[in-house]
Amino acid sequence: MSRHKKKRTQISIRIFQLIIILLGLVILGRLFQLQILNYETYEPLSRQNALRQQNVNPARGLIYDRNGRLLVDNKPIYSITITPSAYDREKTPLLAQLLGIAEEEVEKRVEEARAYSWYRTSRLFTEIDFKTFSIIQENIWQLPGIGHQIESKRHYPVDSLKASHTLGYLREVSKEEYLQQQNYHLGDKIGKTGLEKQYEAQLKGQYGTEYILVNAMGQNLGSYQDGAIDEAPVKGANLNTTLDTDLQLLAEDLMEGKRGGLVALNPKTGGVLSMVSAPQYDIRRLSGRIDFDYWQKINQDPDNPLFSRALSSKQPPGSTFKPLMGLMGLELDIINPQTSIYNPGYYSRGRRYNDLADPGQYNLEKALQESSNTFFFWLMDKIVHSYSIDRWNELASTFGLGSNTGIDLPNETSGILPDSTYLNNLLGEGTWGIGDQISLGVGQGFLAASPLQMATVVSQIANGGYALQPHLVHSIKESDGTVLFPENDTTKISWIDRRELEIVKAGMRRVVTTGSGRYYANLDSVKVAGKTGTAQNPHGEDHGWFVCFAPMDDPQIAIAVLIENGGYGSISAAPIASLLVEQYVTGKINRTRVYDYVKDFEPESQNDDNE
Amino acid sequence: MNNFGEYNWSLTTFWVGLVTIGLISIYSATQGPVAQFLPAYIQVNFYKQLISFGLALLLLIGLQYVSPRTFREGSYIFYLLGIVLMVLTLLIGREVNGAKSWLVLGPFNLQSSELMKIATVLAVSNYLTSQRNISAENLKTALTTVLIILVPTILVFLQNDSGTAIIFLALIPVVLFWSGLPYGISLFIISPAIIGYLSIISWYWGLAAAVLLTLLVFILQRRTWLTFTSFATGILLVIGVQVALFQVLQPHQRARIEAFTNPSFDPQGAGWNIIQAKTAIGSGGLYGKGYLEGTQTQLRFLPEQWTDFIFCVIGEEFGFVGAGLVVMMLIGFTIMLLRAAANHKHPFAQLVIVSVATIYFTHFFINIGSATALIPVIGVPLPFISYGGSALITNTLMLGICLNLDFHKRQFSIYR
Repeated sequence: MSRHKKKRTQISIRIFQLIIILLGLVILGRLFQLQILNYETYEPLSRQNALRQQNVNPARGLIYDRNGRLLVDNKPIYSITITPSAYDREKTPLLAQLLGIAEEEVEKRVEEARAYSWYRTSRLFTEIDFKTFSIIQENIWQLPGIGHQIESKRHYPVDSLKASHTLGYLREVSKEEYLQQQNYHLGDKIGKTGLEKQYEAQLKGQYGTEYILVNAMGQNLGSYQDGAIDEAPVKGANLNTTLDTDLQLLAEDLMEGKRGGLVALNPKTGGVLSMVSAPQYDIRRLSGRIDFDYWQKINQDPDNPLFSRALSSKQPPGSTFKPLMGLMGLELDIINPQTSIYNPGYYSRGRRYNDLADPGQYNLEKALQESSNTFFFWLMDKIVHSYSIDRWNELASTFGLGSNTGIDLPNETSGILPDSTYLNNLLGEGTWGIGDQISLGVGQGFLAASPLQMATVVSQIANGGYALQPHLVHSIKESDGTVLFPENDTTKISWIDRRELEIVKAGMRRVVTTGSGRYYANLDSVKVAGKTGTAQNPHGEDHGWFVCFAPMDDPQIAIAVLIENGGYGSISAAPIASLLVEQYVTGKINRTRVYDYVKDFEPESQNDDNE
Repeated sequence: MNNFGEYNWSLTTFWVGLVTIGLISIYSATQGPVAQFLPAYIQVNFYKQLISFGLALLLLIGLQYVSPRTFREGSYIFYLLGIVLMVLTLLIGREVNGAKSWLVLGPFNLQSSELMKIATVLAVSNYLTSQRNISAENLKTALTTVLIILVPTILVFLQNDSGTAIIFLALIPVVLFWSGLPYGISLFIISPAIIGYLSIISWYWGLAAAVLLTLLVFILQRRTWLTFTSFATGILLVIGVQVALFQVLQPHQRARIEAFTNPSFDPQGAGWNIIQAKTAIGSGGLYGKGYLEGTQTQLRFLPEQWTDFIFCVIGEEFGFVGAGLVVMMLIGFTIMLLRAAANHKHPFAQLVIVSVATIYFTHFFINIGSATALIPVIGVPLPFISYGGSALITNTLMLGICLNLDFHKRQFSIYR
């Protein structure tokens, strides 16, 4: 080997070694870049790859009646979820086939989910049957981005119980709602009416988070680190209500086939024992997947079953307002228990105001018993004359008329309790006179109240003049065991005098024993006091009212019943209220004759005016 | 065989070390928790590799008893036999992963291109070192050399195994340079690879490389025609790559290139492998996630993790420390081979060892470069580490021949 050659070989070796070391350094540099400098980028990437974060829905709170009987609980339903970023749209035909749903429908839902969020998981289909759910579960490896979830829907264990307006129903959150509130995901349900809406925040609970290990095929490999970093969902709080299930069932039974509202309160606490709006709707059919046909049906029903008559109906209370009139007359010293006026069969003031009661001398008790209009027209005339409509309004409003009762349900009406401002606004200043005010004395004219308000009024008469706060929820039990008691204190209505109250109560007792209530409301077993009423209805048959409380000496229940187009309250509303009293106080119904009468009772079907 | 002190124990030790690292990684990639997602025939790869290791060891020992003359004297016959096998493969071979490179011989599956590598090395080395005028400046010698290498290259290419074809091509500049091709011309020959690589990244990088390399060629050679040709080739290449990228290449080929330059362009398609490979290595960090604990590996996010992407398993589970050690072992192994060549007196042995080192290192660089996204993904295994009995045995065969030539270097003087 020549020297030149040898030298060349040595140089070549050096060059090769240099190149190899240089390229080796390039690789090492690249490794340094990836593993040390960009570790913060790739480490989370690998974790996201292998970990799927899933929301765990909390169990919604349960609802109990006053005896601890379960009214609302949850039942599992099976859902298919989608994560659009991982979903392969070419798989839509397969997915549609496995689900047994039309491809267009699947495509539409996929589109909605994409519009909602590209990365967040949302429900594609809910309430699929268990068999389809299992098929999807088995084929999940073929369907990237598709997941499954077991959720729950509301279930109502008491079979025949409706209580639709009280309990309320849930609906999937609308797009607007989930955009407004961070707490909701597409497909989540939110309370839309009743207690479900009112106590949404308490019932809902808090989402949990679950970390699931997945492989490149999206197969679920179980929990990550045995759930060490999972966050358990917080169960929603349970509601203990004041509802009496047996009474509610009877009330619903009695109100069937009628239109109207019924509220039964515990007059000592304001707790709602029963509340019915008739006609009702079936919350069972609104739980879970939307039953569009049914939804449309109840929306288009002329009887408007979605309207909560017990809370939102605005009707003149008619003669059921008279006990309160009597109290005001006594308070304002216009009358005393002995004050007696002559009723010629009408009251004359500018014009004749009719009175159906027999002509004769009437004091307060007798006027209540016979429901003499003349006495109260005269009394109203005196009040307006000696004081003003505003003084009258002031006293009546302390009983809860003309304003919301503040019950823990949405959509209650405040009714109308006119004062001068109201009449000025409505009729124009100076254009209204005594004629617009006198009829208020018998609960007609502009006066309007809901059954809930009238139940509140009669409860406050029954309990000795304590203003109360009608409520459904007695206590809220949170998942950690904490029990909250919403404030529902009663306060004495300052102007009420106990002796004056006793006179009115005695008058109401006479209504039942010898007056218009004697046919259906007079029980042998329980001393009932009440007042019938008839709301004039310019559109058709009058609406019947009845308010009552019992037992007379130690009231445990106060009821207001409104039957639309029922005619006289004494024949439409009173029998219903009396049956409820009988059931509640004695625990059973002996007067099957009255029960059958109520069940057969059919109000006029003509009905142009619900409100 | 009387002086074991002459035997290159350090290279052998490195070989055992690399194969062991390979076995450890293959175990993780096929027998770890990931096994539940793998078909049975892939799960057994670890055991097959273990058997191959045993066979390779026997082969390595046996080769030391062969006369070094055999390799030179038989070189053309080996070459011809190799070509025949290659053609046979092309005609009756079995297709695996789109490449028709397997010849089924009874119970054995043979990858003929693996054997062809050493056959080509021996033939080229024999040819170049038996020429009176070794200088490859002699055009006829140079062209013959290129032809000897190009024939198997084309056959491999026809087998649809472009990765191995690139390995063959890499031999051309090395053997010519080693045989005395002037520096300037050598640089000119490898310049298309550099310019082409940079042109894929962006055309102005390619242009800059073309200018710079032409300048270097001029400085080294000072020949107007060569400088001019170099520049013209460079420019044509830059344009050619752009045309190829946007006109000539099939969509799937273009997707592969695009996936390299911008993996996030199509994260579910062509870019998937690159993203997952980078994520595996990057998430390994300094010390790695621990043996059998790499989520990318064990949850099956990596493609072909027992062969072409085995480096990702090492990077993820053993981190920068482990992957860096493997890279340094590979560099050290190659350098040691080159030192053996430098210490050898006979040009044939020198050229054989240098060529074998080139083949190994090209594999190393392409494989790890693909896994770390330094270069577009080219499917070649990592010698000694990746699963593959045929590859392990033929790679060991090459090493065995090098060790044989090194071991018997004193005998060469006689026979020369």
